Amino acid sequence: MSNNPPFDLREPVDFAIVGSGSAGGILAKELSTAGFSVVVFEQGPYRKAADFGHDELSTLFRYELNGDLSGQTFRHTADQSATARPQPPAEYAQTVGGSSTHFTGNFWRFREIDFKERSVLGPISGTNFADWPISYDELEPYYTRVDWEIGVSGAPGPNDAPRSRPFPMPPMPIKSSGVLLERGAKKLGLTAQPEPHAILTRPHNGRPACIRCGYCMWFGCEVGAKSSTLAAMIPLAEASGNCEIRAESAVFRIETDKQGRASEVLYYDAAGNERAQKARAVVVCANGAETPRLLLMSASDRHPDGLANSSGFVGRNLMFNAHCVVNAIFEQPLNDYKGVQVTRIIHDFYDNDESRGFYGGGGIDARPLWSATPILHSLMGMPPDVPSWGAAWKDTIAHNFTRQMSFVGSTTSLAQDSNNITLDPVATDRWGRPGLRVTYLDHDDDLAMAEFLEDRALELADAAGALQYWPFENGPSKGGAHLLGTCRMGDDPNTSVIDRDHRSHDVPNLFICDGSSFVTSGRGQPTMTIMALAFRAADKIKAAAAAGTI
Amino acid sequence: MNNNNELSRRRFLFSASALTASTFVRLTGTSVAAIAQAACSAKESSAAFRSLSAEEAADIEAVAARIIPTTETPGATEAGVVYFFDNALAADMNVRLDEVRAGLARLNAAIGKDLRFAELSPGAQDARLREIEDSEFFGLMREMTIFGFFAMSKYGGNRDHLGWQLVGFEGHNGAWEYPFGHYDEEVYGGAGDVE
Repeated sequence: MSNNPPFDLREPVDFAIVGSGSAGGILAKELSTAGFSVVVFEQGPYRKAADFGHDELSTLFRYELNGDLSGQTFRHTADQSATARPQPPAEYAQTVGGSSTHFTGNFWRFREIDFKERSVLGPISGTNFADWPISYDELEPYYTRVDWEIGVSGAPGPNDAPRSRPFPMPPMPIKSSGVLLERGAKKLGLTAQPEPHAILTRPHNGRPACIRCGYCMWFGCEVGAKSSTLAAMIPLAEASGNCEIRAESAVFRIETDKQGRASEVLYYDAAGNERAQKARAVVVCANGAETPRLLLMSASDRHPDGLANSSGFVGRNLMFNAHCVVNAIFEQPLNDYKGVQVTRIIHDFYDNDESRGFYGGGGIDARPLWSATPILHSLMGMPPDVPSWGAAWKDTIAHNFTRQMSFVGSTTSLAQDSNNITLDPVATDRWGRPGLRVTYLDHDDDLAMAEFLEDRALELADAAGALQYWPFENGPSKGGAHLLGTCRMGDDPNTSVIDRDHRSHDVPNLFICDGSSFVTSGRGQPTMTIMALAFRAADKIKAAAAAGTI
Repeated sequence: MNNNNELSRRRFLFSASALTASTFVRLTGTSVAAIAQAACSAKESSAAFRSLSAEEAADIEAVAARIIPTTETPGATEAGVVYFFDNALAADMNVRLDEVRAGLARLNAAIGKDLRFAELSPGAQDARLREIEDSEFFGLMREMTIFGFFAMSKYGGNRDHLGWQLVGFEGHNGAWEYPFGHYDEEVYGGAGDVE
């Protein structure tokens, strides 16, 4: 159903949605099936499931799904000059469905505490640690809609937040890495619970179950079992007859009219020509890096510091979730390259614990990681005591590839002014737009939490019986794929960009919904919450439209 | 829970006993020599490289053969890694062709006038490469050798999936059924499913 007639550029559509990913795809489906006319802008091409494959070189090392990430620069602190890096610091996919096409599909809900932790723990000096303006209870019905409408497999863990409906399908069967995590957890008195996935274990909503091919992390799913918005939402949006997916269209400005209302979306089409689409309202769902960049690029006399930025909070409070990795080799083959990445997760360290001496919480999962594919393994997965080439190195790869796994920790990140997205003063991307400059240095507590989880992961590897284990290059983040916090929601227009219903405080017909809406980072797997926010935002936007207040 | 001293002591210990020859993947039915011969005749029959001269190709093949040597199992030579280099440097890695050429020239400049790298003994080649192993050029050679050994065969290397066979990777053939590995089979048997 991708042959909907395109909308006329000069006639305003009801909603222009910038971004077709986890949030944009859901808003497109929700608003178009409610009868509104919708144009969705996506920088990347319109790939379908059949276009995805198993080519490790092109997918992982030539960034095929990431598309053009030129112009990105990185620095740790504002006194440094930002430089380009071989790997993009803000990592996301440019393709219809956005990063939901290439994510790994780990789908934790937040818990009640994640929304109100500032009230419970008190302030943390030097940070913008704050409560969300909404609670878990308010979001719970929308988590449940994600479970059932997007498609989530899983089983409840002992300390999960309450759910109003069970998972629609059982979890992924356990892999060897999961068995080994369980083995370690039992010895240490911890609990390894099944990992929830945005990947189907049963046919659901007309989509097939996972065939266990093993190409989830950073690959697109060729059967549509991975619950991307490309698989689950965009076909429904197009079937409504009210939605055009305008791929290969890179938005560079949101124009405002004399009343200060968003009126037009300016973009470069596939040929690089400037185009403009009139719209009655604009919803920005471009991800936590691209959304603030677009708002900053849309500065005008009326909005000199960027659109919707009277607070100065556009681009601030970037949160990546810190990570740690411990690699481990076992005696017998795991063949963990088969099937999904993660089948067991430890959430015993989810809650903040004052006795640790620092703020934070997180989870530890078991997965092949560097042993999912052989190039990745050879470049990233080698033990520290092996030469980097020659016969001994070759023998190590040959022996370890099927026997190696990783324990991966994911943590909280604290919101800080100094971690942000700004426009690079020099670099530009291939369209000529100002480059996306990332300034980021993990808070000491985030690094301490990652180190804490690393120590626990080392203990787990040992308790599981690993022959050898070692931490992998842990330390301050040099980039991230979780792009959170940069247009946070809040009741106070002085300290937030959008209100609790995703409407920007400054521009009444400008809505923002994606990872940028987050107030806190959660414990490491944000996409479930991005999608739940999107379903909720759609309800709020539909209600505002019905009330005539947009 | 182990104490910290015990942990830090064991953290970097490598178990040499884990690496025994019996664990190496062995090719069934085809000897390494036969594969090497097939690779050589393929090279002769496709004498015209797309981006490399014959001398450059010989040097690259020799460098790749020291990075992933032919031992009792096939290496970079048998997998046709040099054809990956040639194709990549003619296509999307063309921007790095000059860098490769300059690196090869430096590699040869330090050897005597009459010899190229490819003509050295394996031991002398290893010694020469150890002198440059921290250079960007060697890093590029190493990375491209890995790509050529493990990337899909359509790129010119990983002939007959020799790279994948070496590590026990069954590639992209799978819609896999349980059990996947030793530990899930041990716990759950052939059913593999915990539902």
